[in-house]
Amino acid sequence: MSVDPIRLEIFKNLFHSVAEEMGAALRRSAFSPNIKERRDYSCAVFDAAGNVLAMGDHMPVHLGSMPMSVQAALRAFRLGPGDVALLNDPYAGGTHLPDLTMVMPVFAPRSSRPLFYIANRAHHADIGGAHAGSMGLSREIFEEGLRIPPVKIMERGRIARDLMAILLANVRTAREREGDLTAQIAACCIGERRLMALVAKYGSREVIAHGRHLLDYSARMMAATIAAIPDGVYRAEDFLDDDGVTDKPQRIAVTIRIRAKNAEVDFTGSAPQCAGSVNAVAAITESAVFYVFRCLLNEQVPATSGLMRSIRVIAPAGTIVNALPPAAVAGGNVETSQRIVDALLKALARAIPSRIPAASQGTMNNLTFGGTDARHDGKPFAYYETIAGGTGGGPGHPGNDGAHSHMTNTLNTPIEVLEHIYPVRVHRYALRRGSGGDGKFPGGEGIIREIEMLADVQAGILSDRRKLPPYGLRGGSPGSPGKNEIVIEGKTRRLPSKCTFRAPAGTLIRIETPGGGGWGKTRKARRAVGRKGKSPKASSP
Amino acid sequence: MRIAIDTGGTFTDCVYLRGGRLEILKVPSTPPKPSEAIAHALGRIRESGADLASLELVCGTTVGTNSLLQRKGGRVTLVTTAGFEDVLEIGRQARPHLYNLLFEKAEPLVPRARRLGLRERLDSESRVLLAPSAAEVAQVVRAVVQSRAQSIAVCLLFSFLNPAHEKLMARALATTGLPVSVSHEILPEYREYERTSTTVVNAYLVPVTSGYLSEIEKIAEARSWSLPANSKRAKSGRRVSRVCIMQSNGGILSAGAAASQPVRTILSGPAGGVLGAQYVAESAGFGRIITFDMGGTSTDVALLDSGSEETLSITSESVVSGMPVAVPMLDIHTVGAGGGSIARFDRAGALRVGPESAGAEPGPICYGSGEKATVTDANLILGRIPESGLLGGEFKLDFPRARSYSNRQSGPMPSAEAFAQGIVDVANAVMEKAIRVISVERGHDPRDFTLVAFGGAGALHACELAAALEIPRVLVPCFPGALSALGILRADVTKDLSRTVRLEVQTAVKEIAELHRAFATLEREGRKQMRAEGFSRESLKIDRSLDMRYAGQSYELNVPFNGDFISLFHRAHEKRYGYFDRARACEIVNIRARFTGRTPKPALPKLRIGGPSAAPAIVSKSQTLFHGGREMTPIYDRSRLRAGNRIPGPAIVTEYSATSLIPPDWSGRVDRNGNLILEPRR
Repeated sequence: MSVDPIRLEIFKNLFHSVAEEMGAALRRSAFSPNIKERRDYSCAVFDAAGNVLAMGDHMPVHLGSMPMSVQAALRAFRLGPGDVALLNDPYAGGTHLPDLTMVMPVFAPRSSRPLFYIANRAHHADIGGAHAGSMGLSREIFEEGLRIPPVKIMERGRIARDLMAILLANVRTAREREGDLTAQIAACCIGERRLMALVAKYGSREVIAHGRHLLDYSARMMAATIAAIPDGVYRAEDFLDDDGVTDKPQRIAVTIRIRAKNAEVDFTGSAPQCAGSVNAVAAITESAVFYVFRCLLNEQVPATSGLMRSIRVIAPAGTIVNALPPAAVAGGNVETSQRIVDALLKALARAIPSRIPAASQGTMNNLTFGGTDARHDGKPFAYYETIAGGTGGGPGHPGNDGAHSHMTNTLNTPIEVLEHIYPVRVHRYALRRGSGGDGKFPGGEGIIREIEMLADVQAGILSDRRKLPPYGLRGGSPGSPGKNEIVIEGKTRRLPSKCTFRAPAGTLIRIETPGGGGWGKTRKARRAVGRKGKSPKASSP
Repeated sequence: MRIAIDTGGTFTDCVYLRGGRLEILKVPSTPPKPSEAIAHALGRIRESGADLASLELVCGTTVGTNSLLQRKGGRVTLVTTAGFEDVLEIGRQARPHLYNLLFEKAEPLVPRARRLGLRERLDSESRVLLAPSAAEVAQVVRAVVQSRAQSIAVCLLFSFLNPAHEKLMARALATTGLPVSVSHEILPEYREYERTSTTVVNAYLVPVTSGYLSEIEKIAEARSWSLPANSKRAKSGRRVSRVCIMQSNGGILSAGAAASQPVRTILSGPAGGVLGAQYVAESAGFGRIITFDMGGTSTDVALLDSGSEETLSITSESVVSGMPVAVPMLDIHTVGAGGGSIARFDRAGALRVGPESAGAEPGPICYGSGEKATVTDANLILGRIPESGLLGGEFKLDFPRARSYSNRQSGPMPSAEAFAQGIVDVANAVMEKAIRVISVERGHDPRDFTLVAFGGAGALHACELAAALEIPRVLVPCFPGALSALGILRADVTKDLSRTVRLEVQTAVKEIAELHRAFATLEREGRKQMRAEGFSRESLKIDRSLDMRYAGQSYELNVPFNGDFISLFHRAHEKRYGYFDRARACEIVNIRARFTGRTPKPALPKLRIGGPSAAPAIVSKSQTLFHGGREMTPIYDRSRLRAGNRIPGPAIVTEYSATSLIPPDWSGRVDRNGNLILEPRR
C-alpha cells in the first residue's frame, strides 16, 4: 500500500505535539516537586485499539508500559465521553503503585465509538502504605500503598468525589495529591481538545488512517534495523545486588535470537520472583525491551507500538521479570528495569559491538523521606527523588558525568526549592571524582549527595549496584559501585542498598552513586592524556 | 542623529531619519570584525551630507549569540558555595536525548579547575548559617587570580533572598580589576542551576561584548568628532555620541550597561525583527500578530497580542545552545527549517526537511555548487521563485541544474515536481508546528491573528501556512529588507528588574502594603538606572507585574500588578491550563517592574496612490505549480506597485531580497504604506 510520505511526516508532528502539549500542561499546573520540578511523568496518544501513536519525550520506563494501562482500562469497562479512568495496580495495567495512570477516550462529535485514547502517568510522591514515599522495603504489594484497579475518576465530565475521598484518605499528603490529580485530569482534557480539533480539521477517517500508517512506518523502521543485526543467538546475564531481604544476587538472564527482520527476547533462566520489592511486572520488562530496541534506531522515529511488531518478548511468569501477585514491585520499575536494560545491552554488544556502550550506573538511587514539618505547624510531608550517576563509556566517546540513564530521565529538585519546601539541608551535591571505570573511553562519574534531615523522618533508600559494579566493555574497567551512608552525631554508618529507617533530626544521609563502566582497553599513552579535566590518578573512594 | 544598525550575516542594514524621512542604507557585513561595516556605513551616511552631530547609534548585535554558539567567549572563573562547585556541570541531571545510547553532554563553560568553593551558607529563610571569613575570602581571591581568569562569575546559594555574601565576595574581587558578574544582580531569582548558568553565560560574554562595544563607541565618537572645525560642540570637547544596544526583551540599553550585562542581548537581532514587524503591523491597523521570519537555515516565530496586558510575550525559560538563560527575552521560537534546509528520505521512506542546511556554502543546488535538494530548489522547480533570481536579478538561479539533481534524489516520488511539492509541504508542516508552540500551546487561537511574514522566504510560504492554521490574513511588510533595523530604530529604552519575594496571599488587600514596599525598593533602583540612561522620573513608564502560582506549584504565570491581581491570576490559569481553584492559596514568587523610556517614533512613509489595477507592475510570467495544477502566474515588481493596487492570485511579487507568493485562491492589496495584505478569496 502506498502512503503519502508527506502526510505521514505531518501527522507524526501533529500527534507528537498533542502528547507534548499534555506534558507541558501537566508539569506547569502540578503541585509536587516530583512532577513539576523533576518531571516524573509521561503522556501518550493511542488509537482505538490501544496502540501507541505518539509519546512525548518523557520517561522511557513509562512509555513502553502505558499501552498495558490502556488495555486494562478497556478490559475493565466502557469509557464514554467525558470519562477518565484511573489505575495504578501493577497487576492490572500499572507498573508500581506510586505511578498513577489516567486514560481518557476521545470521540468524534455525535459518535459513541472512541476514535483515540490519551493517557498520562505521573509518579506521586506518596500513595500510602507502610512507608512514607511508598517506595520502602516491602514483602507484599499490600504494604506498598493503595492499590487502584481501573476505576472512573471522572464520569461524564464530573470528578468522582467519593472515589477521590477514599484515595486522599489513604495517602500522607492529601492536598498535594489532589492538586496533582487535578493537573493530570486537566492534561487529559487538553489532549482531548487537541485531538478533536485534528479530527474536525482533517476528518476522522484521515486522522485514523494516518495513525495506522504511522504504526506501519515504525514497524518498517524497526524491521530494517533488526535486519541489519547479524542473525544469531546472543546471550547475557547480569545481576541485581540483592532483593533487600536476603543477600542473594538476583539473576536477569536474556537470550536474544535475531532472525532476518525478527527478534525474540527470551528471559528464561531469570531468577524466580523474590521476597523483596525488586520484582518487575511484565509491562516493565516489555518497556525495557522497547527502550533498548528504540535506541538502536538512530533516526527520529515516532515511538509507536509499531516498533514492537517484529519483537517477541518471552518473560516466564513467576520470575523477577514477570512477577505474580502478591509480590511487592516498587523496585521492579526503578531498579530491575535498569538491570534488564544492562543485560539486553550486554547481549547486543556481542552482535553489534561498535554501537553499544558499557554499563551506566544501573540504578535510580531512589531516596524517600517523610514526616511532619515543625516549620509549618506540623504539616505532613513526603518527598521522593532519584539521583543521577555515571553513564557508560562507549565506542567513540567517554561516558557522561552525573546524568540519568536508560529507563529514567527525571530532573533534580533545585536545592533552593528542596530546602524551601522540606525541612532538610543539602550539604553537598558534587560529582564523585574517580568513580567512572577506566578505559580508552572512560565511564562517567557518579554523584555525591548529602542531605541533612532537620526533622525526625522515616526514610528509605532503594538502590542497587552497591556491590556488583556496572560492567566495562571491550577491556574497559567497571565503574565504582555506589555507597549509602548515614551520619548520626558524627558517627558514620554504612547502609545496605535497600533499606527503610527512622532517622532523628540532625541525621545526614550521604548517597554516592555508581560511576559508568569504561569502554576499550586503556593504553599508557592514552592514560597520560586522560580526558578533559579528569585526573587520571584519582583514586577510587 | 539616531541611526539604527542591524548587523546580519550578509548585510549590515542602517535605518535613520533625515529631514523627517526614513532612509535605508545596506552595506556588506564584515563578519570577522562587524564594527568595520558600521564604520563604513557611517562614512557613507556622512558623505551623503548628513549631519552626524550628537550621533546616537542603536545596534542589534549577534556578537553574543555567535560567541556562545561557537564557544568563543572569555575565560571565566566561577565562585560558588563550597560543596556546590559542580552544580553548573550536573545541571538538572537529565540527558537531552532519550533514545541515544551514545549521547555526549556539552562541556560546561567553566571547567572544574576554575570552579571555586567559598565556605558560606544561608538557609531558605535568608538567615546566615555560616558567614565567610575574611581569610577565606582572601584565599578565593588569590585562587581566582591564579586561575588566569578574564572574567569572574559569583553565584551563591539563596543569594536571591540575601545578597550580603555575594556582595562581600564581589567587593573583594573588585581588587583584581577583572569584570565580575554577580548572580543577585544578573538574575535575583530562585533555582540555583538556572541562576548560575545565566550568570556564567554573562561572565563568558563580557570580554567579547565589551570589546565590540568599545570599538563601536570609538567609531561613533570619531565620526562625531570629525565635525567642521568651527563647530561649537567640537570645540567644547564634550562627548557627543551615544551607543545603545538592542536587548533580547525588545528594549534598548546603553552600551555601558550592555557591556556589563551582555546576557541580556543574546536575541538582539531577532528581537529587532519582531519589533519592526509589530511597528509596521500596528501602523496598518493590526495589533495581534504572529511574526514569521524565515531565513536561510532557520525560522523564527513570535506572537504579539495587543489585546493582552503584555503585548510582547516574554519568557524567562530560554535555553541557548543547551544552557538555560533565564533573563526575560521575547518569546521567540526557532526551528531548523529555512530556505537552505536539505530534504532527504529516511530509511523507512518518510521525507524529511532540515535541520541540516546547505547554508551559504555550498548553498542550494540552484546557486550553482550545492548538490542536495533544498527548500529553495523546491520553490524554484515549482515556479514559485522566478528564474531571473534574487537580489533584483543580480543573482541568477540555475533551474535545469536544480531540476536534474532533484530528479535523482526524488526517491519514490514520480517526478522532480512531486518531490518539490513534498519538500514544500513538509517544510510547511515543521513551521506550522512552530507556530502552534507559540500560539495554540500558549492558549491563543491563531484565527485571531495576522501572520506577518518576512525574511528571504517568509512570504513564499506564508499563505499556505496561514491556510493550515486558519489565520485569516498575511501581511508582508514594507521595508522587508530592513525590518529589523526599523524595529531597532523605534525601540524604547527598557530595563527589567525583578526580585523573588515568595509571598503567600489569601486576599489582595492583606499583602498589598508589603508588595508596595517591595515595588518601591525595586523602583528606586530602576529610576536610578534610567536616570543614567537619560530619562527623568516624569518621562518614565513603569509596568509592574507579578509572577504568580498556586502555592505548591513550580511554574508561574505573569499577571499585571493591580487591585485584583488574584482574580487575574485565576483567569490566566484557566486560560492556560483549563482550570482554576479559588480555594487554593496563591503565591507571589517574583515581582517585576519594567521601566520604559520612550524614544521618538518616526512615521512610516506613504506610498504613492494608484488605481486598483496592479497590471503596470507585471514584469513577466511564470509557469507555477500549485496543488491543483499548473497555472500561468504573473510576476509583479514590488517597487512598481502603488497604494490601492489589487493583486488577484495566483501571483508572485518580487523585490530585492525576498519573494512573495499569492496562491490561486488568495488575493492581495497594497496599503497606503506599501504593505501587502493577503487574504483568502471569499
